Amino acid sequence: MSNVNAVTFTIVLVLFLIVTLVGFAAARWRRAEDMMHLNEWGLGGRGFGTFVAWFLIGGDLYTAYTFIAVPAAVFGAGAVTGFFAVSYTIIVFPIALIFLPRLWSIARAHNYITPADFVRGRYGSRGLSLAIAFTGILALLPYIALQLVGIQAVLTVMGVGTSSTNTFVKDLPLFIAFLVLAIFTYVSGLRAPALIAFIKDTLVYVMIIVAVLYIPTRVGGWGHIFAVGAAHMKAINPATHKPNGVFIPTTSNSQLAFSTLALGSALALMVYPHAVTGVLSTRRRDIIKRNMALLPIYSVMLGFIALLGYVALADKTTAAEVKKAGNAQLAVPYLFQNMFPSWFTGIAFSAIVIGALVPAAIMAIAAANLFTRNIFKEFFKPDASPKLQTRVSQWVSLVVKVGALAFALALPKTFAINLQLLGGVWILQTFPSLVGGLFTRWFHRYALLAGWLAGMLFGTIAAYKVATPTASHWAGSTDIEFGHTVYIGLSAIIINIAVSVILTFIFKAARIPEGTDETLPQEYQADPGEAPAAAPAGVGVGSVGSAGDLPRISSGAVCRFPIYRQEGWLGKDQAAEDIHRLNAHEIVFAPRD
Amino acid sequence: MTQPPVASRSSGGPRSAIAAHPITSAVIAILIIASIFFSLYVPLYASATPKIGDFPFFYFYLIAYMPVVAIVLGIVLVLQKRVRPPESAEIPSAAGTGEVTK
Repeated sequence: MSNVNAVTFTIVLVLFLIVTLVGFAAARWRRAEDMMHLNEWGLGGRGFGTFVAWFLIGGDLYTAYTFIAVPAAVFGAGAVTGFFAVSYTIIVFPIALIFLPRLWSIARAHNYITPADFVRGRYGSRGLSLAIAFTGILALLPYIALQLVGIQAVLTVMGVGTSSTNTFVKDLPLFIAFLVLAIFTYVSGLRAPALIAFIKDTLVYVMIIVAVLYIPTRVGGWGHIFAVGAAHMKAINPATHKPNGVFIPTTSNSQLAFSTLALGSALALMVYPHAVTGVLSTRRRDIIKRNMALLPIYSVMLGFIALLGYVALADKTTAAEVKKAGNAQLAVPYLFQNMFPSWFTGIAFSAIVIGALVPAAIMAIAAANLFTRNIFKEFFKPDASPKLQTRVSQWVSLVVKVGALAFALALPKTFAINLQLLGGVWILQTFPSLVGGLFTRWFHRYALLAGWLAGMLFGTIAAYKVATPTASHWAGSTDIEFGHTVYIGLSAIIINIAVSVILTFIFKAARIPEGTDETLPQEYQADPGEAPAAAPAGVGVGSVGSAGDLPRISSGAVCRFPIYRQEGWLGKDQAAEDIHRLNAHEIVFAPRD
Repeated sequence: MTQPPVASRSSGGPRSAIAAHPITSAVIAILIIASIFFSLYVPLYASATPKIGDFPFFYFYLIAYMPVVAIVLGIVLVLQKRVRPPESAEIPSAAGTGEVTK
């Protein structure tokens, strides 16, 4: 601890304490009568508006991955494996605009809390729902771990806790930061990251504006920075005997890698359970749409953050320090330390640490909800009360964080970005069931399950086999298919879809039961102002009317079907069709002539 | 089989709205597809020249793309409102922005 800068350390500590206080105080923000319900703890009361949602979803998407790993990848390998992230955050919003509003509507109509809840209701399949939940938890672990790697990078550069060789002592500050995070998530649920996101984004914006305007003038201007970047990427790496990276992807192979990485990551991002959590916490359907148009403004920042990788290359002191440490993740923290006065370094470091805590909290909540709803309640305790569900989620959120900690300490960290890409490969395999299910019920549930399995196996094995001269396994996220470099996640999802389509034909021909679909077509367009009073246990048959579970009872309705008529929230579209209620489970449509 | 005829009811709602506004719907689809395509089709912008300021074209293009996407998606939202007017005008708070004060 001898080389710790006192000013930097104090500022980080003070801001961390402020965030901790806000995290605990968040439990009282927009306080509901009954906090012991997953709609409250896990979705912040489903009442956030455009403004809060912008910060919350932004805080979800722009993580330590953005601040540490993207510039680190640009620093190390240039455009293809690093700057693709900019392309990816461009296309994620038009893609999300296609399906997220439908997901929001159907989740609100049936009180779904997790993506696996929807799959359960749509396909009437516990197995498929379990597969989705399992994949979600599995994919979130490396993503949370990536946040830890981000915090670790900052702590290392600050000189905190690096003096000991004992893993526990060495990572003690990290443990403490994570423990605090775990406790306030336990207490406040989604309200904590939503409120802290305001502080985070203010700090991040200040950090990035100052960094982009000030640092280039000190290292010789953007022209010089790009010249150094181009020269470095062209230089031959002594370990691999290949160029260090790609400055501008001009070969067709590098272009294909660039765009498949961007497309695959964009498809994956919005089916991540934590993104779904952020989306479902909003009050109205329009808020989702509006945010898809507003969030790209946030992404402009990402472009400049990514370029800090080249800026770090252009600053000789930083480049030398990173090389000496042998860890590209340290590029941005070292750059800040070398360029900024120590008080501002403290602010910038706090921005990164808090920027890692916010998404880590949302991810832990999302993983905990998946476990509680789709594993615990589905398979172990079908009659779990909302209170018990919330209690289980709270505890699981703690366990998930410990798991992520193990993930972070066990895997090689040289390229933290690959952790996230591995999670991306996995989560992409839920895309056909989830997004496909939002538009069509054509796919057979068992075909989707088989497709998922094929995609998971292929993706994991292919990622395991990627090797470089410096790493024998898990060395990257692209591999060569038919002579072209392609993002593994994308080839896996193509296999997944192919298997699903072929088996759907076979299973339909064999008349294997397709399961009951509890959703209605209009519900995918609906925009109810208030969460319907369907039982929160409302996944599957037999849940209708379990009145003891009601979060808030609107207009005295208990069964969700009468609500359509009483409140009319399905709107004018419904005029074309009459709903004849035959009984609680069977509904037919009779178009008006 | 005892199940409801699922396949026939999977997409009832949107079709009628699209049929009522074919041109607007087509424009929406084109705007969304274009905003994805022009980012994914790398050969279009993978070059160092022309330099914009000190920025190689490749880097300038991607950063300048972001605000453009925001504007394009904003237009899409306005068009979507014309295709499908807001369903619950009876809740005026939806249009407001003051939810923070709540």
